Amino acid sequence: MNKSQFLAQLHDHLSVLPPEERSELMEDYEAHFAFALQNGKTEEEIAQELGNPAELAKEAIDGRFAPKEPVYWFNPANPEPAPIQTPVRQQPVKRRGGAVTTMVYIGLFFLNLILVPLLISFWSVGIALAASALAGLLSPLAVVLDYFAGHGYFAAKTYATVALVGVGIFLAIASRYIFKALVLISVSYWRWNVRVAKGGAGHE
Amino acid sequence: MDISVQFKKGALELCVLVLIHERDRYGYELAQSVSQHIEVAEGALYPLLRRLVGEGYCTTYLQESTEGPPRKYYKLTPEGEHYMKKLVIEWKQFVKSVSNLIERGSRL
Repeated sequence: MNKSQFLAQLHDHLSVLPPEERSELMEDYEAHFAFALQNGKTEEEIAQELGNPAELAKEAIDGRFAPKEPVYWFNPANPEPAPIQTPVRQQPVKRRGGAVTTMVYIGLFFLNLILVPLLISFWSVGIALAASALAGLLSPLAVVLDYFAGHGYFAAKTYATVALVGVGIFLAIASRYIFKALVLISVSYWRWNVRVAKGGAGHE
Repeated sequence: MDISVQFKKGALELCVLVLIHERDRYGYELAQSVSQHIEVAEGALYPLLRRLVGEGYCTTYLQESTEGPPRKYYKLTPEGEHYMKKLVIEWKQFVKSVSNLIERGSRL
């Protein structure tokens, strides 16, 4: 790993820090590179000696945010409001107690009990629309089949077919948009479930 | 994580405090001095130094140098010195107790 790769990785991993703190730390590491390069080391050697950027960033973040006494939002014995540490909020909460995890899963289960059938019903509306569109578009074929089945032919059937094809085209356009929306809703709902289940760590 | 890494991390703070107590030092100089004695990821030094400054044990000042970027020197505050002395005493006691225990174990 060379200097710019090291610094870029470190910069990425430090993204939860306030900008001014991040840039101060970055300056420290840049200065380290400058001094070590002067002493005749290669960029690769220096990066090697500095260590893994992800772990260094973790240390910088932990050292900064580690509360002296952990504060739990559900702890009634601690009436004082927790000190506001805005950067902590940006950082995904990684650890969660077993009880909380269970509650989250139960909550998701009941929510899905309602919302999944609702989603399925939306999908069936979409499928019904698409089927009507297809039927409209294929109605000329139906007239041909009708003729061969021996039901005779008269002009009104053709006019009706023309109208049905027109309706079919409109429905096809409409169902294209509806399907796009359905896929978007389903995918984002699924991602939200995964994120909640994993405890907010599922952004990547 | 490797357990000896944890040992070294714990000792790093003490080493850094002692080194700064000897004389004011800048980051890269500290990295070199520390790695002469213990093998540790040098990059861990900078978060540690920031924390020491944040806790009021150190202050910093910049000094231009004829070559290279300006050097950020770290200086121990009276609180820092007090803290270092306390840590040294605790460290010695701790090492003694653990050594005694190991000694006793090896005699059995």
